[in-house]
Amino acid sequence: MSVDQFEHHLKFFSSSRTDCIARMMDIFLCLKQPSRMVDSKRMRMTSNFQWILLTFLLLYLMNQVSSQKKRTPHDLKCVTNNLQVWDCSWRAPSGAGRGAAYEVCIENGSHSCYRLEKNTKIPALSPGDHEVTINFGSSISKFTLNEKDVSFIPDTPEILNLSADFSTSTLHLKWNDKGSVFPRHSNVIWEIKILRKKNMEIVKIMTHNTTLNGKDTVHHWSWTSDMPLECATHYVGIRCHIDDPKFSGHKEWSNWSLLKNISWSSDSQTKVFPQDKVILVGSDITVCCVTQEKVVLALIGSTNCPLIHLDGENVAIKIHNISASESSGTNVVFSVEDNMFGTVIFAGYPPDIPQKLNCETYDLKEIVCTWNPGRPTSLVGPRNTSYTLFESFSGKCVRYKRAEVPTNESYQLFFQMLSNQEIYNFTLNARNPLGQSESTLLVNVTEKVHPHTPTSVKVKDINSTAVTLSWHLPGNFAKIKLLCQIEINKTNSVHELRNITMKGVENSSYLIAVDKLNPYTIYTFRIRCSTKPFWKWSKWSNEKQYLTTEAIPSKGPDTWREWSSDGKNLIIYWKPLSINEANGKILSYNVSCSSDEETQSLSEILDPQHKAEIQLDKNDYIISVVAKNSVGSSPPSKIASMEIPNDQFRPGVRYNFFLYGCRNQGYQLLRSIIGYVEELAPTVAPNFTVEDTSADSILVRWEDIPVEELRGFLRGYLFYFEKGERDTSKMRGLESGRSDIKVKNITDISQKTLRIVDLQGKTSYHLVLRAYTDGGMGPEKSMFVVTKENSVGLIIAILIPVAVAVIVGVVTSILCYRKREWIKETFYPDIPNPENCKALQFQKSVCEGSSALKTLEMNRCTPNNVEVLETRSMVPKTEDTEIISAVAERPEDSSDVEPENHVVVSYCPPVIEEEIANPGADEAGGASQVIYIDIQSMYQPQAKPEEEPENDPVGGAGYKPQMHLPVTSTVEDLAAEDDLDKTAGYRPQANVNTWNLVSPDSPRSTDSSSEIVSFGSPCSINSRQFLIPPKDEESPKSSGGGWSFTNFFQNKPND
Amino acid sequence: MGEDGETRPPSRSLPILSTGDSWGMLACLCTVLWHLPAVPALNRTGDPGPGPSIQKTYDLTRYLEHQLRSLAGTYLNYLGPPFNEPDFNPPRLGAETLPRATVNLDVWRSLNDKLRLTQNYEAYSHLLCYLRGLNRQAATAELRRSLAHFCTSLQGLLGSIAGVMAALGYPLPQPLPGTEPTWAPGPAHSDFLQKMDDFWLLKELQTWLWRSAKDFNRLKKKMQTPAAAVTLHLEAHGF
Repeated sequence: MSVDQFEHHLKFFSSSRTDCIARMMDIFLCLKQPSRMVDSKRMRMTSNFQWILLTFLLLYLMNQVSSQKKRTPHDLKCVTNNLQVWDCSWRAPSGAGRGAAYEVCIENGSHSCYRLEKNTKIPALSPGDHEVTINFGSSISKFTLNEKDVSFIPDTPEILNLSADFSTSTLHLKWNDKGSVFPRHSNVIWEIKILRKKNMEIVKIMTHNTTLNGKDTVHHWSWTSDMPLECATHYVGIRCHIDDPKFSGHKEWSNWSLLKNISWSSDSQTKVFPQDKVILVGSDITVCCVTQEKVVLALIGSTNCPLIHLDGENVAIKIHNISASESSGTNVVFSVEDNMFGTVIFAGYPPDIPQKLNCETYDLKEIVCTWNPGRPTSLVGPRNTSYTLFESFSGKCVRYKRAEVPTNESYQLFFQMLSNQEIYNFTLNARNPLGQSESTLLVNVTEKVHPHTPTSVKVKDINSTAVTLSWHLPGNFAKIKLLCQIEINKTNSVHELRNITMKGVENSSYLIAVDKLNPYTIYTFRIRCSTKPFWKWSKWSNEKQYLTTEAIPSKGPDTWREWSSDGKNLIIYWKPLSINEANGKILSYNVSCSSDEETQSLSEILDPQHKAEIQLDKNDYIISVVAKNSVGSSPPSKIASMEIPNDQFRPGVRYNFFLYGCRNQGYQLLRSIIGYVEELAPTVAPNFTVEDTSADSILVRWEDIPVEELRGFLRGYLFYFEKGERDTSKMRGLESGRSDIKVKNITDISQKTLRIVDLQGKTSYHLVLRAYTDGGMGPEKSMFVVTKENSVGLIIAILIPVAVAVIVGVVTSILCYRKREWIKETFYPDIPNPENCKALQFQKSVCEGSSALKTLEMNRCTPNNVEVLETRSMVPKTEDTEIISAVAERPEDSSDVEPENHVVVSYCPPVIEEEIANPGADEAGGASQVIYIDIQSMYQPQAKPEEEPENDPVGGAGYKPQMHLPVTSTVEDLAAEDDLDKTAGYRPQANVNTWNLVSPDSPRSTDSSSEIVSFGSPCSINSRQFLIPPKDEESPKSSGGGWSFTNFFQNKPND
Repeated sequence: MGEDGETRPPSRSLPILSTGDSWGMLACLCTVLWHLPAVPALNRTGDPGPGPSIQKTYDLTRYLEHQLRSLAGTYLNYLGPPFNEPDFNPPRLGAETLPRATVNLDVWRSLNDKLRLTQNYEAYSHLLCYLRGLNRQAATAELRRSLAHFCTSLQGLLGSIAGVMAALGYPLPQPLPGTEPTWAPGPAHSDFLQKMDDFWLLKELQTWLWRSAKDFNRLKKKMQTPAAAVTLHLEAHGF
């Protein structure tokens, strides 16, 4: 029983006229309803009696309440579905028949009573408590009724219509909110549920908010299914919740409406849905197969897909995050026993915003708009993007015809220009089944003219230096100005660009004059045009080649003359005119000679001939030559001729000639010429002095040679220098090209000084200078110069060797000092005294003792190999026990050892055997093995145990480097420190461990018999070399000096 | 062809001269040579007859077979999986209008030349029509190009068959009105069914090319036999 109910009962109880106290006394007497009590009692057997009493009391009260109820109308409940009428009901008293009549009175300002059966509809009461009295025969029940106790449950809504659009998988729902019954505006929440399949799985529950406005309103709601509606039956139900702000009672949801369903009436043919659907890449899609047969397989492309079973044999598959389709779409195939069905899904993208939209015109008749489609949509054919170009001012539009996808990924559309419209506002709309996009462009076409290529370029003469150029430029440019560029190319010359601004014409023909050309020259013209204001140049037109017409030659040919060898004829030569001067093709030359008396003209001389011979006496003449082309003759070029007798001149003498012209007022100097009849070599050498000398250079200065002694035009000086003393050296054949003579040719005759560099200090040099003309070399002038001493170089030359010697000495000293021990050991080793060595004796005893061992080979025991033995000092030293423990830890290593190894240890004392008898070594067949293992642990703790045995018997005889000295040094035994010192130094070859193990230093050795002590010396067994204990100053001197130098290196300490 | 040396055509009888009666053989040879200009089958220098054109047609079918292999590869890849999988074998649903190439072996053997050629001609004219429709549907330019190329080749084959028929004196079959196949992709024809049809079109085309190769091979052999038969007859006559 809930608290609410309980309170309700208490309220009811209090309103009854029954004497509560008196009844309570009865509880204890009667103790009715034992069954419930027993339960309580059992549970609280141990609790105190007061609790039990209280429980009884409570139970009794409740019982009374229920018994009271039964006699009077009780459980008054009121609900409303429209907030205007409350529908109240109560429980009839026991014994009341079906048609029993009640009188219900409500204290609502005025007292109103209704005579009703069972339940009643009462008008909505104002907020606050109202007393309701229900009389039923003699029993009267009183209730307090408040709006808060009234539940507001709206009427169950009714679906007016449910329709489906199968192509889009959309459900359309229609219902009436019946708002007219509600007095006030209030918000309504509609809850709509969608169920699917025959077993009505809930697919979706959605809410939809509306408001009531006092009128009946029909609402529409649509929902798109993720699964095609054909795949399964879809059910729709609706309920509502009205949120009236002024109503204070319980507002509850209405009941669900009757479900309406949508199903696809199949015609028993198997079909797959959706067919040919276009979806966005990355979305999810459900594909189903509506069939009567059992689907065995579903494939997306070639991928198998799990089946989702729907009603009957219908199945569906779900594709998540679909990727972009190939051009023919993604195939989905359902296989049944002997057939297959399928559909094609086109996954793509909506069109991208058209990029780089650009509109221009070629001819002001048609506008061309180009754009890039942007990201590919993956949709082709009928699903490809369609484009529409819309011009908003004129309202015209052009559609892009989807004929061919352009190969250069650029689309273009043509838009016919409208007369009197210059500004166009274009909107390019791109649309495909997945969406649309657009981009806009506002353009003034007169500023976006990109003219076509000019065609039909023609050239016509005006004169020899000007032509007219005409061309055709398609388009109507009457309203704008054109800017054209003419490129003029002359062969072997830089091309020239001329800009021309002209008014556009309607008929597309243009004509201009091009001047400032050269006559009789081949020009290549080409043209391109743009408009003003500039937007784009057209392409260059084709080149047009043109030869300008001829003009008269601009000057006469350069002419000179010569007397023929017999001195009777004058031969006149002239240079053919250059192309620029000829201005055409030179056809012929006219030559004439005029003297005071007569003028003699020669007949025309045709072009390739460039000389003429005239018979003349030796008078003064003026000869003129004229070149002629088809247009006319050049101005004459004239030369005058005068003879001076030859015998007046001498070679080597400079002459000055002055040519005066004879004028009306007198003579006028026309030209002066300096010359020699014949140049000769200078007669003297230039005087030269040494201005300055340094350690490595000499500065030489010389003087000019007088003109009289020069005897020609000075061409330069030759300067020679070589090492040499005044007495010993002479210039031996300067021109012979000796390598030690260096030559400098000074062609700059204004130069009067020369610095010779890169010389050696304090050296005598021989310098020679001579002048030369075209006539030959002049005489020599020589000089000896000694360069200065180079003091700095000298100091450096002394200092460096001294410094090097000092450094070497210091380094050597330091090295010697630091390695003094090592040097001592290497060069002056302490040789132990063989007399003190007891190993020989001991060896004997070892062999005797070990004869008991089966594995030992006695013949090897002969210690004839041992050459030197050394007695260790008897001072007991603590030896690290690491080695022993290593023995114990590695029994398996020992088992790897081959029996051959016994040879090595056959020399070893019985003591060892005793030691090895300790735990861990039981597997190791004998002392020999254990010792060998120690060798391993010493030299090669881990790797290659099998290599070692081969080396050991023989190699053991050789030197073993102290590779693993750190192994022993890691032992943290302070007592073993001096031992460590030893290990840091030289260690004997072969069984170092043997030595280590059984050395008297070892604590174990001390434990053993005294014989072992005598054994404790690093005696070489297999080696023929001397063994030197590390750093044992007290050891006797070596009796033999057989230490080789190679060993010296091998025994280098590792650290 | 002859079964033993004596009945071989004259060109092949030379090696047996050493073994047989040489004078007899020489006489035989001479007789044969004498009669040779009179043999009608060999006397066709002016009119080569249908032989070379049959051979050409046969070669063309083999070439088209080869060409189709690459085209089908491209096209099936364009259709996408599972159409391009080697073991894909869809039911022949909407492809009922396609001419079937598969035929019972006995039925095929019992066909006469005229019927054989007529069937070929009809089949290819239908298939060509479908193929042109395919070309119109293809989405990529490259595919369209290769389809157009193949169509041209197929058109050539059709002309070649027509030539053979004309050489043999058979009339060309007239297309019946209304049976002209039309390519109707309409709304009822889903993309998937379209792809199935395309698949079957290529498959049928391939089968037809195989069949045509056999047909023309058979025809070719048949055309060669009469000449040999005449030779045999002459040889018998010479003895």
